[in-house]
Amino acid sequence: MITKRSPLSEDDIIIVPTGCCHDCGGRCVLRAHVKDGKILRLETDNGKQPQVRACLRGRAYRQRVYSPDRLKYPLRRIGERGEGKFERISWDEALDEVASELTRIKKTYGNSSIFLAAGSGNQGMLHGPIPVASMLIAFGGFTRIWGVASYEGPLFASMATYGTIRTGNSRDDLLNSHLVIIWGWNPANTIHDPETSFTLSRVREKGIKIVAVDPRYTDTAATFADRWIPIRPGTDAAMLIAMAHVIITEDLENKAFIEKYTVGFDRYRDYVLGYEDGIPKTPQWAEIITTVPAKTIVGLAREYALSKPAALIAGWGPARAARGEQYSRAANVLIAITGNIGINGGYASGFMRAYSSRETTSGTYRSRNPVENGAPPRKNSLYKLRGGTNPNSARIHSAKIFDAMLRGRAGGYPADLKMAYVVASNFINQHPNTRRGVAAFKALEFVVVHEQFMTPTAKLGDIILPVNTFMERNDIAPACLGSPYYIYLNKAIDSLYESKSDLEVVRELSKRLGLPPGLGAMSEDDILRFIASSRGDIPNYEQMKRNGVVKIKLPEPIVSFKEQIEDPENNPFPTLSGKIEIYCEHLEEMNNPLLPPIPKYLKHSESYDAPLAAKYPLQLLTTHYKTRAHSTWHNVPWMREIEPHSIWINPVDARERGIRDRDLVYVFNDRGKIRIPAKVTERIMPRVVNVSQGTWYNPDEQGVDQGGCANVLTDDAHSPSGAHHMNSALVQVEPAEEGMP
Amino acid sequence: MTQMGFYFDQTRCTGCYTCTVACKDWHDLSAGPVNWMRVHTIEKGKFPDLFVAYLALSCCHCENTPCAMVCPAGAIIKRESDGIVVVDREKCLGNLDCGKACFKACPWGAPQFGQEENAKMQKCDLCLERLEQGQKPICVEACPMYALDVGPLPELRAKYGDCVEAEGFRYPERFKPSVTFKPKKRYQGEP
Repeated sequence: MITKRSPLSEDDIIIVPTGCCHDCGGRCVLRAHVKDGKILRLETDNGKQPQVRACLRGRAYRQRVYSPDRLKYPLRRIGERGEGKFERISWDEALDEVASELTRIKKTYGNSSIFLAAGSGNQGMLHGPIPVASMLIAFGGFTRIWGVASYEGPLFASMATYGTIRTGNSRDDLLNSHLVIIWGWNPANTIHDPETSFTLSRVREKGIKIVAVDPRYTDTAATFADRWIPIRPGTDAAMLIAMAHVIITEDLENKAFIEKYTVGFDRYRDYVLGYEDGIPKTPQWAEIITTVPAKTIVGLAREYALSKPAALIAGWGPARAARGEQYSRAANVLIAITGNIGINGGYASGFMRAYSSRETTSGTYRSRNPVENGAPPRKNSLYKLRGGTNPNSARIHSAKIFDAMLRGRAGGYPADLKMAYVVASNFINQHPNTRRGVAAFKALEFVVVHEQFMTPTAKLGDIILPVNTFMERNDIAPACLGSPYYIYLNKAIDSLYESKSDLEVVRELSKRLGLPPGLGAMSEDDILRFIASSRGDIPNYEQMKRNGVVKIKLPEPIVSFKEQIEDPENNPFPTLSGKIEIYCEHLEEMNNPLLPPIPKYLKHSESYDAPLAAKYPLQLLTTHYKTRAHSTWHNVPWMREIEPHSIWINPVDARERGIRDRDLVYVFNDRGKIRIPAKVTERIMPRVVNVSQGTWYNPDEQGVDQGGCANVLTDDAHSPSGAHHMNSALVQVEPAEEGMP
Repeated sequence: MTQMGFYFDQTRCTGCYTCTVACKDWHDLSAGPVNWMRVHTIEKGKFPDLFVAYLALSCCHCENTPCAMVCPAGAIIKRESDGIVVVDREKCLGNLDCGKACFKACPWGAPQFGQEENAKMQKCDLCLERLEQGQKPICVEACPMYALDVGPLPELRAKYGDCVEAEGFRYPERFKPSVTFKPKKRYQGEP
């Protein structure tokens, strides 16, 4: 146990502004106190307000950098793949082998057989997957995923409704609202820009009412909400549609706004009132589905329609589900019919990237990746719109990669995958149906992994290349969502052990592959200078580097669609109709009953009332957790001792099963079984359980995961928009006898 | 002497533990039982009518220090200048030899002991080194919710009010802990 104060005099210490930019929802400032090449301790932003203060994850960074579990040198597998037996090899041996396997596989099967398993573990703009992708494009191309587990449903709904992902207002504008509804959104844990929770506090302190709709009484609901409305998972669209029913039947919709700025209200009204299918979507109808009392739905609908302006923030969690896009669409449409778009205090939900510091990929299905050249747009994509997800059909949905590895072209996929190049990703842990993922990775011919730790995915590697951390290299990271700032991560210490940066690895490999140096010819600093200059909102590179952050001053809060609302003649919405699309013709053309042109409540094979619920009666949520960013920080001791990993279960369900608080339980369905301690708590509604995602898969000899990895239980399916089914699995829970599978 | 003390805005605390981790990093404390700054969770009620609050608490630097009163070695000292309670670890007998008298006397468990043999007491010293340089303690500068403050107690009470109780914290008159709170109250509005 280290318990001594550092006796060092301050004179010997230099403070290096760097940061913490994994994929948690924040990108934050850290100030590393360095002496003799070693980081002694950290501070966060203590400069000008607004400060970009790091959360507990960033504060624990030293235990990542100096973890005894860091991968120290290149490794080559010696046992069976996945067995976990490796030998130490030199960088030359490792890189030679990767280059020769890449060359062999390209020659034998073509470039499409190379799969880039690029994850979100590094949010810097220079390191991580970016240089690897550039190298593989120069090498002739590769197969990649489409469909981001976090947000594909809201992204699709944003595009379909507004024609863009730049939705929402900046956080400070919430202070102009008269009512804030936070729906399935838990920024106290998921951050969603570092100033968000503090802003919600200010909203509350100003006397603005906050209502939380969520199956759990989250830290966000508990801290900020005046009222909590628990709702059955997967039924959010039903409640939103019933709120529309109240608003329409009570004549509370904003008719002038609907007339001027939207298309297709009548078609939606016909569905809501039951003219289309004979079922009026009344609050009583929704009560049976959602468990939310009809009078509560009526009350919230009236409150939302009459509190002008009002902000409905529809979080991504409920859309991370089967038919999740319908929830996002239903929220967007409710916001539109009350006219809460383009105004201060309103809020156009959806993707919620209010500030354009970070864009997604190009607007067309064209690609500079040779493997994707000439491929037509994907079915069910919004290919006629610019922006959003690239609809190129050569890409494979990330939930289907394991299936594609196992079945290839014969299974209807665009490629036969033979190797995986894994970078910044604990891929099998963080994609649905982990056990299938292990089987799929075992079926490949070659797996190379850039990693800092021996993750469950790295364990499936043939060659593991040790890469360094943020503190051992320079990078720039933009804000996660809508905040106007960039972090400059200065290198604070030299790379530990034999680790290298992703860029250094790529340079070495490119040489071996006979590729032109490209960006590799430029110094790291020159590349970063180039990245900064191409942004347009970074006025002074040197100053940003010196301060570790650049905060862009905005004259007033950002309000998405302000121009479209104030001057619609000159500023049409970037949809095909130029208006907000309540009814979307692009969707109509798809002629897919699972992607109707108006939002609908749709069921699926693991809905609460599906036949499978007789066998697996509990609905599983797999939410984000305060001590991890996905699977990063899983192995950090300071994090593991804080509210240890457990399954949340309501006392009613626990009692029925003879489960007491902290008992070990099994959670299982047809896809797998995990063993995990129970947290018996009133903070989750009956018939719903929660296993936060991100702990590392660790199966015992019987195949029962002792690590409590949520994705052992999730379905490797996706909705037609691309939404993952992470919050849609049905499970059963039973007490675990110690030592018995 | 101007007594230094803590302010905690319980209405803002999301239970994120950033203060706990920043403290462990700054003071180089390993994972384990030693937590100078602790966050307690208070959960009450039955679904769906719930109340949850967090209480971030380190050492209250009491005016009448119960820990110092019981220390058999006189190792716990209340500083004349600012009332900060510090421990002289050279003098501390260790938890085996004295049976954790200070820990038992403290209503909040502020005195901490590591897992080593006959561990000596350690606890929050309000980041003395930082205070001397005109900086706030690391927990105050860490809190993403700006829910913590440290300063001369009269100033804190003038600025934030003199409420000395919060959910999970009762004020023992005989010790006079140097704290002031904005307590979280159960929502009393409409259902």
